[in-house]
Amino acid sequence: MSQTQHPLPNRIKLIWGISAIGSLLVLLVVTGLFWLAQTYWDWAAWLTVTMLVIAIGEPIIETALIPYRYRFTRYMISDTAVEMQAGFIFKKRVAIPIARVQNVTLNAGPLLQWRKLSKVTVATASTTHTIEGLELATAEQLRDQIMRLAREARHDQN
Amino acid sequence: MTKTKRTHPLGLLDHLAKSVKNWWPLLIIILAQSQSWWGKLLIPAAILIFVVWPLISWWSISYRITPTALEFHSGILVRHHEHIPYARIQTVQRKQWFYLAPFHLEEVSVETASHEDGKPEVRLAAVTPDVAALIEHYRQAANATSSDNSVDSAEPATTPAVQASYALTTRPRWQFVLTSTGFIPILLVALGIYGKLPHNLIERLGSDLAHLSGLFLIIGGLAIAVAAWLFTVVMLLIRYFHFRATRTGDQIQVAKGLFQRNTITVPLQRIQAVRFKQNVFRQWIAIQTTQLLLASHAAAEDNNDDLVLLPAVTLQQSYADLQPFVDWTPATPPDLSDLSVTNGRRWLLVRNALLIALVPVAIATWFWPTWNALFDIALVIAFGQGLFAANNTGGSLVGHKLLVLRTGHWWTRETYLVPLAKIQSVRLHQSIWMKRTHLMHLTVNVRHGNRNQAITLRYLTAEQAESIYDWYRTNAI
Repeated sequence: MSQTQHPLPNRIKLIWGISAIGSLLVLLVVTGLFWLAQTYWDWAAWLTVTMLVIAIGEPIIETALIPYRYRFTRYMISDTAVEMQAGFIFKKRVAIPIARVQNVTLNAGPLLQWRKLSKVTVATASTTHTIEGLELATAEQLRDQIMRLAREARHDQN
Repeated sequence: MTKTKRTHPLGLLDHLAKSVKNWWPLLIIILAQSQSWWGKLLIPAAILIFVVWPLISWWSISYRITPTALEFHSGILVRHHEHIPYARIQTVQRKQWFYLAPFHLEEVSVETASHEDGKPEVRLAAVTPDVAALIEHYRQAANATSSDNSVDSAEPATTPAVQASYALTTRPRWQFVLTSTGFIPILLVALGIYGKLPHNLIERLGSDLAHLSGLFLIIGGLAIAVAAWLFTVVMLLIRYFHFRATRTGDQIQVAKGLFQRNTITVPLQRIQAVRFKQNVFRQWIAIQTTQLLLASHAAAEDNNDDLVLLPAVTLQQSYADLQPFVDWTPATPPDLSDLSVTNGRRWLLVRNALLIALVPVAIATWFWPTWNALFDIALVIAFGQGLFAANNTGGSLVGHKLLVLRTGHWWTRETYLVPLAKIQSVRLHQSIWMKRTHLMHLTVNVRHGNRNQAITLRYLTAEQAESIYDWYRTNAI
C-alpha cells in the first residue's frame, strides 16, 4: 500500500475553499428566507437564530477541516488495481481491481474545469467509487488504462 | 424460428390483467355511477382502456429468435427494440399459470445484468414451451463457443445428463414452511390495526366486562398471530409446491409453485455467490436454507431476491448437498475461525448493540416511566443480539479462489460463499479508536439483484482484515 500513494492535486484545496463559500451563501439565503417568514408570518425567532448559527458555523468547520481532508485523502493506481483511502478519524480504504471495473466517468463542474481538474468515478457491477479531483491528464490516463485492461481482462465474466 | 412472431392470443389475458390492475378504480366509479350521465360518459374511456389498449399492446409485441441474438419489439407510442446476444443472458424464467397449462403455453422472461431497474428485458406473456427451449439451446451453444475454441465446440450441445437433483420431501417441507419468519411483517401490520380497534369495542361491551378487557386483548393478539402464521404457511406451501432443483451441464434449474408454475434457469457461471441463511426458528431445529445470489430480478418473489436452491437442509448436510450443484464450493464445512471475533472483542459488539438500543429506551422511559420494566427487555434483547453477532462472525479462505464469510444480524445467521472473480471491491474501515487496539471492519461487496450486497465483518483484528484485503488486491486480476 505504501509504494505509490498519491495525494490529490494541491489545487483541490482552493476548490474546497470556494465550495465552502458557496455553502455559506446558500445557507445565508435560507436564513434570509427564515427572517422574512419571521417578519411577515410571525414564525418563531429562534428558528432564524438557529439557522444563522448553522449558516456561519458550517462553512467555518468545512474550511477548518480542509487541511485534514486533504492530508488524509490518498489514491493509488497500479497495473491491476485502483485503491482509495480517506479519513483520519474514520479511516476507509477500498481496493477495486481493474478487471472488475465496468465504466469510468470523468466529471467536472465549472470550478474543476477552471482549475483543469476532473472528478473520477469508477463503477463496478455493484458499487461506485469516486476520487474527488485529479489532474485532467492523470484522469484521462487512468480512464484509458482501465479501458485497455478491461478489454484484455474481460473473459465475458459477469 | 427466425421469423418475427407474436405471442399467442391468450397473452391478451395478461395485458388485460395489467390494465385492470392499473385502472381498477375506473371500473368501480363506472359501477357506482351507472345511473348518472357522467358515469355513462366514462364508458367509452373504459372500452379504450380495457379493450382497445390491451389489444394494441398485445399486437405491438413481437419477437424473433435468431441463432445469434434474441430480438424483442414492443411499445405502442414509443417503439422499443431489444437485441440480446445469448452470451449476455443471466436468467431465463418460465412461469405457467394454471389456466395456460391446458393450452401448453407459458410466460417467458429473459434478463441480462444491465442496471435497468425493476423488470426483465424481455417478457413474452404466452408462448409455447419450444421458445424457452430454443433460447436455452442457443445460449448453451454461445457459451460453449466462448469458453473453449476447440473445433468440435461448434456442434450444438445435446441435452446433457442430469448431474444433481433435489426434491423437497415431506419432512423438510414442513420444517421449512413452519419455521418461516415471513409472518412477522404481516403480524406487525395486523396488530397495528388491531391496536386501534378494541377501545370502541370494549366500551360497547359495557363496564361489567371491563375487568376482562386485558384478557380479551391478549387472546385477540394471539389469534391474530396464529392467523398470520397460518397464512404464511399456506402461501409457502402453494409457492413451494413440488419444489425441484436440477443441474444439467453448466446450468441449474429450479421449478416450483402450484397455481403458477415458476421455472428459473441460471447458468453456473452467472452465480454471484451462494448463501446459507438460518433464521432464529431454523437454528432451533438445525436446518438452513441455501440460496443463490444472482445479478437479476428473476427470483424477486423469493426471500430478498435470492433464488432458493435447497429450502431446508440440515447443518451437517449443507455443504455436501450443495457441492454437486455448484462445483467451486467445498464438500465439507470449512473451519471459519480465521476471521472470528473472540474474547475481549465480543464486548465491543455487545456495547454497540446496547448503545443503539439505549437511546430509544431512554426516550420511551422518559415519556412512560411506568412501562420501564417492559422497555428494559429491549436492552436484554440488544445484549443478546450483540453476543449473537460476535459469536457468529467468522470466515476463512478456502483454497485461493473462494472466500467464506459468516455474519449474524437480527438473530439470522448467514454464511456467504463468494468466489474471488465475483467480489467487486473490498473495503477496510478503521476509526481512530480502533487504531490503538489494532482492529478493523472488513466489507466485501458482491452484486446482488440490481444492487450491491455489502458483507461486513466487524471488529476483526487489523492483521485478519488486511490479510483478506491483500489477498484480494494481489489475486483479483
